[in-house]
Amino acid sequence: MRVILVVLPASEIGRSEREAIGAAHALAATLGGEVYVALIGPAAESGVEQRGRTGPTSEASTVARAFFVAHPLLREYAPELYVSALEQLWATVRADVILFPGRTIALEIAPRLAYRLGAAVATDVIGLRAEDGAVVITKPVYGGKAHAILVAPRPPVVLCVRPRAFDPVHGEVIGGDAERIEVALDLTSVRARLIERIREESATGMALEEARIIVSGGRGIGGPEGFRLLEELAQWLGGAVGASRAACDAGWVPASWQIGQTGKKVAPDLYIAVGISGASQHVVGISGAKCIVAINTDPRAPIFRVADLGIVGAYENVVPILIEEVKRLRAEEGA
Amino acid sequence: MRIVVCVTQILDPEIPPSEFRLDAERRAAAEGIGQLVVSIFDENALEVALQLRERMAGREAVEIVALTVGPPSAADALRRALSLRADRAILISSAEGPPLDGIVVANLLKAAVERLHPVDLILCGRETGDWHGGVVGSFLAEALGWACVNFVSRIEVTDDGFLMRRQSDEGWEIVRATRPAVATITNDDTNVPRLPKVRDTMMAARASIPVWTIPELVGEEARLWETSGRLQVRELIIPSLSKAIEWIEGETVQEKAARLVQALRERRIL
Repeated sequence: MRVILVVLPASEIGRSEREAIGAAHALAATLGGEVYVALIGPAAESGVEQRGRTGPTSEASTVARAFFVAHPLLREYAPELYVSALEQLWATVRADVILFPGRTIALEIAPRLAYRLGAAVATDVIGLRAEDGAVVITKPVYGGKAHAILVAPRPPVVLCVRPRAFDPVHGEVIGGDAERIEVALDLTSVRARLIERIREESATGMALEEARIIVSGGRGIGGPEGFRLLEELAQWLGGAVGASRAACDAGWVPASWQIGQTGKKVAPDLYIAVGISGASQHVVGISGAKCIVAINTDPRAPIFRVADLGIVGAYENVVPILIEEVKRLRAEEGA
Repeated sequence: MRIVVCVTQILDPEIPPSEFRLDAERRAAAEGIGQLVVSIFDENALEVALQLRERMAGREAVEIVALTVGPPSAADALRRALSLRADRAILISSAEGPPLDGIVVANLLKAAVERLHPVDLILCGRETGDWHGGVVGSFLAEALGWACVNFVSRIEVTDDGFLMRRQSDEGWEIVRATRPAVATITNDDTNVPRLPKVRDTMMAARASIPVWTIPELVGEEARLWETSGRLQVRELIIPSLSKAIEWIEGETVQEKAARLVQALRERRIL
């Protein structure tokens, strides 16, 4: 029987984790087999602790089996220890597919695990299905200008899914019984130690990945001051602020605001691209957006080829008036 | 201190989608639709190496060695590194052009790094700018048994290793890594690639670049595939981009803004 094992290494179960389980179910629909989930580290410890207090929940789980890989040394993320723990998990749970959510730590863990297991690995996966028992993977290449269809001829295969590419599951992720997996870890194997962790503030306090509305600025903004205007618009719209690589490399905004192939992948209801030319590596980060509005002085900017609504004009003129219109709309709604 | 920077060439990522074509048989982008350039994050990696050497001046001598894997034309990426004043450049000769399997590249780089012993730091881009695999750096660190930190944008040398600033989902982290280490590099405002001087570009164009062959590095080619489960590329497709833009017109900015809000309300977004 085929096994698709979803590994969740982050300390919380968020949207990315639910999407990974959704991706596993989507694959199971054509591959057959069962979906298992493994929590590792702090999430596993709270799972163990919660089960100890209350027992398994009565709600049906979305998965067939669940595992908690808890160990004091896993409380703080260290790739060597997490990879070693997962190697040991795999010795017990011989999965055909090991699937990770689209998190930065997963992009670090997955290739190293694949190396140790002698497994194929693919990151940034946007499509998954089975054909004749083989796993067929779709991922964007050339900055999103093409899609590559890859085939893993034999198990196991290790995958990281792209955020916002798969529908999330709802309900209790691990509702029923979960097995506790014991692992032996060697602290001396750790060669990279976390010293300090800094959360960068988002402009409006809302995380980009969760925002329904995003106002984003590029090279056309011209400097950090222009982003104040975008922040104001985002505040009135109840959204978040993002940026293109050009604006981040110029140091106008924090790197964590970057959206694109190598920044955040977002799928808001509304994406307003202000002074962004629309290079493919940026566009591939917003391909999930429902409605894209572009404001740019150049009518031939590539962003207009992917936008639903377009205004040709200087943002310094357009955005302040847009803010007024949104304020007026909010006032009408409030009345 | 010896720093190895791994570079590769990619098709210019600035080519617009309208000009992008595929070669179905080769399962890659069509040749000739644009220039080949050094992969974007490899340029950031070179910049990090150059800045490290500048900062270490007077403290410790730093030698920067650029490596690439590919056919003879791949030497162009090395000439770019030399034009930026890398000290040495070596071509690892492989008949196949990109995309090469990550495990093949990692095994070849490992053999080359061992031949260059002692090496203190290996830098490569976080992913190639065309196939976005993001695995070679991690594979290389696993193969060598070295410390590995991904998505690094800044590095400092300390008495017992390195302090690396790397990007995370929420912001950034400082990581202390032992020496020797592998770091995969991502862009930020401190490592924007510099441009070479014309004089240095001319000198690099004339440089003689040593070639190391697969047989001399690893013996038989089958050994390259050890510990690999190879993914097969079945095909590439170009996703259809059928979007009809609705231009928001108006005599004044006021009108345009009002029309935009109206359009968004009609689409039930606002």
